Amino acid sequence: MAATAAGKKVFEVFVSKVLWTVATRDIKAYFGQFGQVKKCLLPFDKETGFHRGFCWIGFTTEEGLQNALQKDPHIIEGAKLQVQKNRKPFSGRKSNKEAEDI
Amino acid sequence: MAALLRSARLLKCSPALLLQVTGNTRHAPAAGRLYSGAVGTPHVGLCVQQRGLVKDEPSVAVRSKQAQQFDWALAKLDSSVRRTGRVTKTLLLHIFHDICRTGYPSGNQALLMLRSCGSLLPEVPLVERIELSQRIWDKLQELGATYDVSHYNALLKTYLQNEFRFSPTDFLAKMEAANVQPNRVTYQRLIAAYCEVGDIEGASTILGFMKSKDLPITEAVFNSLATGHARARDMDSAEGILSVMKGAGIEPGPDTYLSLLNVYAEKGDFAKMKQTLEMVENADIHLMDRDLMQVVFSLTKAGHQQYVPEIVERMHHERGYVPDAMNLCLSLITHGHEETAFSVLKSFTGLLVQSQTSDSPDLGNFFLRHCVNMDKSVENIVRFCKDLKDSGLHSSPLQFTLQCSLEAKKTGMAVELMRRMKEEGVPLRPHYFWPLFTHYQKEKNISGTLQALRAMQELGVASDMDTFSIYILPSFPSVDSARTSLKEAGIDVDANILIAAELRAEASRGNLAGLFSLKPLLKSPLHLLLQITELLCKDPRFNSTEPETSENVAYFLYNLIDSMNETEVHSKEEQLREYFGLLKNMNISISLNIFRGIRNILESYQVPELVKEIACFHVVKYGGCWSVTSHHSKPVVSICVSMCVVELCLSHQKLERALELKILYEADMTPAAYAMLINLCCRHDNAEEALKLKMELARKDSEVALDAQKYVALVRVLSKHGKLEEAIDMLKEMKEKDVQLRDGTISLLTLTMNTAAMKGDANSIRRLQEAIFTLGLAKPSSNLCSPLITCYLESGNYAGAFDATVEVHKQYNQMPKIHDLICGLVEKGDAELLQNVVEFLSQERGEMMMLYDLYFAFLQTGRYKEARKIIETPGLRARPTRLQWFAEKCIAAQQMEPLENMVDMTVKLFECDRDDMYHCLLRLCKETNDWQKAEATWMKMQEENLAPRERTLRLLADILKNNDKEVPFEVPEAYDMLKEAGSTGMVLGPAPYDTLIKALLAKGNIEDAMAVKNIATDHVPEFSLSDNANSLLIVSQVKRCQMKDALGTLKGMLQADQVPSQLAITRLVQGLASEGNTQDIQEVEALVKTLGSIKLSSMLFVNNAALAHIKNEDIDSAVELLQSFYIQNTDNQKSSISFVFRKVLDANNDAALDKLSAMVERLCNHFASYRAATDLFLMYLDTGRTEEAKFLLQVLCCILLPVQAAKIKALSELIPDFTEKENIYSHLVKCCGLDKDFSSAKALYERMQAEGVKADELTLKRLALLYKEAGEPVPFEEPPESFSFYADKLKKQRSESMEPADC
Repeated sequence: MAATAAGKKVFEVFVSKVLWTVATRDIKAYFGQFGQVKKCLLPFDKETGFHRGFCWIGFTTEEGLQNALQKDPHIIEGAKLQVQKNRKPFSGRKSNKEAEDI
Repeated sequence: MAALLRSARLLKCSPALLLQVTGNTRHAPAAGRLYSGAVGTPHVGLCVQQRGLVKDEPSVAVRSKQAQQFDWALAKLDSSVRRTGRVTKTLLLHIFHDICRTGYPSGNQALLMLRSCGSLLPEVPLVERIELSQRIWDKLQELGATYDVSHYNALLKTYLQNEFRFSPTDFLAKMEAANVQPNRVTYQRLIAAYCEVGDIEGASTILGFMKSKDLPITEAVFNSLATGHARARDMDSAEGILSVMKGAGIEPGPDTYLSLLNVYAEKGDFAKMKQTLEMVENADIHLMDRDLMQVVFSLTKAGHQQYVPEIVERMHHERGYVPDAMNLCLSLITHGHEETAFSVLKSFTGLLVQSQTSDSPDLGNFFLRHCVNMDKSVENIVRFCKDLKDSGLHSSPLQFTLQCSLEAKKTGMAVELMRRMKEEGVPLRPHYFWPLFTHYQKEKNISGTLQALRAMQELGVASDMDTFSIYILPSFPSVDSARTSLKEAGIDVDANILIAAELRAEASRGNLAGLFSLKPLLKSPLHLLLQITELLCKDPRFNSTEPETSENVAYFLYNLIDSMNETEVHSKEEQLREYFGLLKNMNISISLNIFRGIRNILESYQVPELVKEIACFHVVKYGGCWSVTSHHSKPVVSICVSMCVVELCLSHQKLERALELKILYEADMTPAAYAMLINLCCRHDNAEEALKLKMELARKDSEVALDAQKYVALVRVLSKHGKLEEAIDMLKEMKEKDVQLRDGTISLLTLTMNTAAMKGDANSIRRLQEAIFTLGLAKPSSNLCSPLITCYLESGNYAGAFDATVEVHKQYNQMPKIHDLICGLVEKGDAELLQNVVEFLSQERGEMMMLYDLYFAFLQTGRYKEARKIIETPGLRARPTRLQWFAEKCIAAQQMEPLENMVDMTVKLFECDRDDMYHCLLRLCKETNDWQKAEATWMKMQEENLAPRERTLRLLADILKNNDKEVPFEVPEAYDMLKEAGSTGMVLGPAPYDTLIKALLAKGNIEDAMAVKNIATDHVPEFSLSDNANSLLIVSQVKRCQMKDALGTLKGMLQADQVPSQLAITRLVQGLASEGNTQDIQEVEALVKTLGSIKLSSMLFVNNAALAHIKNEDIDSAVELLQSFYIQNTDNQKSSISFVFRKVLDANNDAALDKLSAMVERLCNHFASYRAATDLFLMYLDTGRTEEAKFLLQVLCCILLPVQAAKIKALSELIPDFTEKENIYSHLVKCCGLDKDFSSAKALYERMQAEGVKADELTLKRLALLYKEAGEPVPFEEPPESFSFYADKLKKQRSESMEPADC
C-alpha cells in the first residue's frame, strides 16, 4: 500500500470497462455514494486522447470500499462496470493521468 | 460467334471441379476463399496455375525469411478472411510494408498481395484499390520479385473485381514484352474484361486466340459472354447462351444463372429475375447467399434498390451469412448506397443479436464506423443512429459514432455530432475534445487547436486545467505565445486555470531551470509534484544513461527540499511524506552524496519521520561493494587429492582400482568423489557396490545429494538387478532432496522401465511408474507410460496390452503405443479385440482420432485398400500433426511404400496441406538418395497444380543436383540476381544489399560480398555496411588470415561510429596473437578502449599479447607480461590465464611451458599470487596430464606448508564448487591460533555458526584456547580431552592422507 498520512491505508478498487464517454468527475461522483473518495485515477492515453477504460478509486475508509464491492451491478451511462478489489497498490503508473487532489 | 464456340474444343469444367483445383493448393479452405474473392465477384476460382518456377531465390537466410514471411502473411490474411470474409487495408499495408522492409519479395508473396487487392477490400473505394494493386505490383517488381503468368492473371483479376477499364491488347503486349506466355486463364479473364464493357468483338478475338492454341472453352467463358451480350444490349443473345452451352455439351451452372440474374438486375427487369430464379430452382441448382448478395449489389448499383428487399428475403442465412452480409453493407456504403446498406443491415440484425456479447446493445457499430470513414453526411448518420436507438438495437449510437469520428480525427464531423448530441440532451464533456487536441498537438497545428477550442466554447463545454496543460498548451511554442493566440482568437480562459496549466506545461516541456525557479511549487498539489518527478524519471531528456542526467531526479528532490524553510517543511510534512512514499514505488535511485545532502537538511529541520522515509530510497553507492568471500571452499590440497584419485581412475574406467584408491584415501573422499565412484559402479553394472557406496556416503553426510543423472543411473542399475525397493527408495530420496529432472534424465527413467519391459516384469514397471508420478518427479508422459504397454506387446499379450492401455489412460491420461497395439491386432486379425480398442478410442479421443489411428495401422501393415476406405470417410478432415507424425515415422524408418500411399490417398482430404505431404516424401527421397522417385514426385506435384513452397523446391533441386541430374527449374543465388539487377539498372534500397552481404559473409565469401558492396555503392551513394555486416567481415577476414584488412575494417568502423561485435574483436585479437603481432594487439586494445560499451573478456588482450610473444619465441616477454599483471594488481587474481596454458599445452610447447611453470611457482612463492597456479593445475587435469598435475600439487604443498591464514583464504576463494567447509575452517582457526589473532577467530566462529558448519573437536579446542587467552567466555562447551588426543583422533581419521598441513 502506498504510504499515507498517519499510516492510514488506502482502500482501493480497480474499475474496468469504463465507457469512453465517462469522465473522471463522473466516476468519482458515482463512487462517492459508497463513501468518501480520496482518489480517483482514470489514466488517459496521450497518444490518442482517449482514456484507457479502467480506473482506480481510493476510499478513505474500509467501509466505503466494502460498500462499493457489495453493490452489483455498477452501471454508469447504461454500461456495466467491472469493479474489483485492487490487488496491486497504486503507484504513479502512467505519466499522463488525471488525478484528483487530496 | 456461335460457330466459333461450337468448333472450339470443349472442356466440361464445373465451378465445383475448378474450386477443387483451388482446393488442392496447399492452404486449401480459407485460401480458396481468399482466391475466389468475397461478395461482388463472380465465383471463378481458378487463380492457381502451374506457376513457372520463379527466379526469386536469394541467399539461404533471405529465402528462409521469405518463406517464413509468406507463411506468416498468409496466416494473417487467411485468418482475417476466415473470420470476416474481408481484409482491412491497414492489415494489407502492414504486410506489404513488412515485405518491402525485408527486401527480396518472393513470387509467392507478390501473388498473395495481389490477390488481396480486389473484392476482399469492401471498405476501400475502387479507385483506391486499383492504385493499391498498381503500387504493390510496381514496388515488388522494383524490389526484385519476378512475375510469371500467375501474377499477370492475378492482376487481371483485380482489374475485373475493381471494375478497372483497361485495354486487353495492351495487357497482352505488356505480357509479351515481359516474355510471359498467357495461358487459358489469362484469355478467360481478358474475355471477361471485354464482356464487362459489352465488347463482343474483342471477346471473339480472344476466343479466336484460344481456339488457335487449342485451349478448352470453359463455363466461365460462356458466363462472361452472357454478361457481354447483355451489356451490348443484346438480351436475346445473352439468353441464348444457355442453349449454346447445352449444344456444346456444357451444363449451365450456378454462375451462368448468376450472370443472367445480374444482367436482369442491371436492367431492373424483376419479372425476368423471378423467372430465372424459378428456372434455377427447377434445375435443382443452389444459388448461395453470396450469389444473391451480388444480385442485390447489381440492383442497387443500377438504381433499382426497390427490389432489394425481395431478394434479401430469399436468402437462406447459410453459415457465414453474417460476415458476408456485413461485407455487402460495407461495399454498398463504399459505393455511396448507405440507404440500401442500412435496409440490408436491418434485415439481419436478428442474426447479430445472437452473437451479442456486451451488456448493452451495440448493433451496427461496423456500419456506423464505415459511414464515418466514408464521410457520409451527418444528417444521414444521425438518422441511422436514431433508427438504431429507437428500435433498441443500439444503446448509444451517437456516442459511438462520435468516438469513430474522433478516432478518425474528423473534427468537423465530430463537432457536428456533438451539436446534435447537445440538442438531444446528451451531456458533452471536455475530454471528448482531447483526441482532436492530441492530433493537432502532434501536428503542431495551432489553427486546428484554436478551431477545436472555439467549437468547445460554442458548444458550452468548459475547458478545464487538464485540457489546457496537457492538450492545448503543448501545441504552442511557449506559454506566452499561447496566451497571445488565445486572446487574438477571442477565446476567454479562466486565469487561474491557465496559470496552473502553465506550471504543468513547464514541467512537461522539460524546462528544468524553469521548474527550479518556480518557488511556489510546493503550494501546488501533490499529484503535480509527482508528475514532475515522474517526468524527470521517465523522460529520456532527463533520464539518459549518462550519470549526470540520471541524477536529475535526485537533484530535483534536493532542490525542492532545499528551497523550503523549516516552517514550510513542517507544515507540509504530511504531504511530503506521502510524496516520498509514492516516489519509493517509482523505483527512483539517488546517489549517496545527494541522499546525504537531503538527509542533512531534513535532519536540521528535525523531521525524523521524513528522514526515515527518504532512507528507504534506493541509494546507489558508487565504487562497488565489498563482496563476501565464497563459502563453497575447501583447502586446495584436499580437493586435489580427491580429484586426482578419482580422475586417475575414471579416465581409465577402472572400477577395481578406483575402489582400492577410495579405501586408501577414504578420509579425503569428497561427496563429489563418491558421486563419481557411484556412477562408475553403475556404468559397470555393479549394483551391490553402488548401493554400498551410496549408503556410505549417506552415513558420512546425509545432506549430500547426487545429481539427477547419477540418481537415475543408480535407480536403473538397482531395478535391473531386482533391487526394486532400493530403487524406489532412491526415487523417494530424490524427491526429499528436491533433485530436479531434466528431459535427458527423464528419458533415462523410461529406459529403466523399458529394461524391465523386455524382461516382462510388468509389476516393477507399475511400481516405478507409480513412484515417479506420485512423487511428482516427472509428469506422466506418453514416453514414461509406454514401457508398461511394451511389456505386454513384447510377449504378444494383446489383451493385456489393451487392459494396460485402459489403465494408463485412466490413471495418467496417457495413451502410449496405441499405434503398435492396433498394428499388432490388425496383423493378428483379432477382430473382436480390435473392435474393443476402436470403441475405447472413439469414446476417449473421438471418432476422428480413432479413424486416424486405424488408418495409420492399415497403412503400416500394408493394407492399403482398407486404409483408403478409412481416409475417404465423409467429413474427415486433415489433422496436420497426425499426418506429420506418421510421415516422420516413415522417414525415420525409411519406409517409402506406406508414405507414398499416404500422400496419394490424401489428395482429396479436406484441408490437407499438399506441399507438406510432398515435402515429407521428398525428404525420404533425400534420405535414400532416390532421385527417380524425387522426379516422379515432382511430376505428381505438377499434375496437382501445386505451387510448392520454396523449401520443397530447394529440397528437390538438392536431390537432383546430388545425382548430377538437371534441375528443371531455376534456383538462382541472390548474388546473381543482384548482379543482374545492377546491370539492368534496377535500384534497390540499402537493406537488401546489407542482408545479402551478411549472408555471403556468413558463408565466408568475401569476394562476392565486396562485389555486392561495390554494386550497392554504385546505386546507393551513401551505402555503407551495417555494424553487423562489418563485424562479420572482420571475422571472415581473420578466418582468411587477412589481418591487415581486418584491422582496417575495424578502424573504419570506429571512425564511422559503428560498434563492432564482441566476437569480431575477439577473433581479431586472437588472429593477431597467432601471427605474433603484439603491436597491433596493443593498437586494437587502445582503439577498443574508446568504445567502452562492449563487454569483452578482461583477459582478452593480456592473454593474447602473451600468446603473441610466445609465438615470436619471446617467452620471457610473455612471462614478464603475465607476472607483472598478477603482481601489479591484486584484483587481477580473479582473472584467468587458462587460455594461455591451454594454447601452450595444445601446441606442446615445452619451452614455453617450462618458463610458465617457473613463473607460476615464483608467483606462489614470492608474491602469494595463486591464480596462475590454480589455472595451470586445472588445465593439467582438463587435458589429462595427471602426472604434471600431481607434481604441481606437490610443489604447491611445499609452498603451503608454512601456513598462513591469508594465503589459504585467498587460495580457497579461487576454487569454487566445493561444499565441504569444515576443513577450510579448521585450517583457518589453526592459523588464527598461530597468529594469536582472536578477533579473526571470533569472527570465523560466528561465520561458521551462521553457515551451519560443524567444527571438529580439535578446532573447538583451539577456539576455546583463543577465547580464554583473550579473557572472554567460551560460547560453547569446550571438548574435555587434551589437544593431542583430538589431534590423534583426527590423524587416525585421515590416515594415509596426503595432506601435510594438519598437525
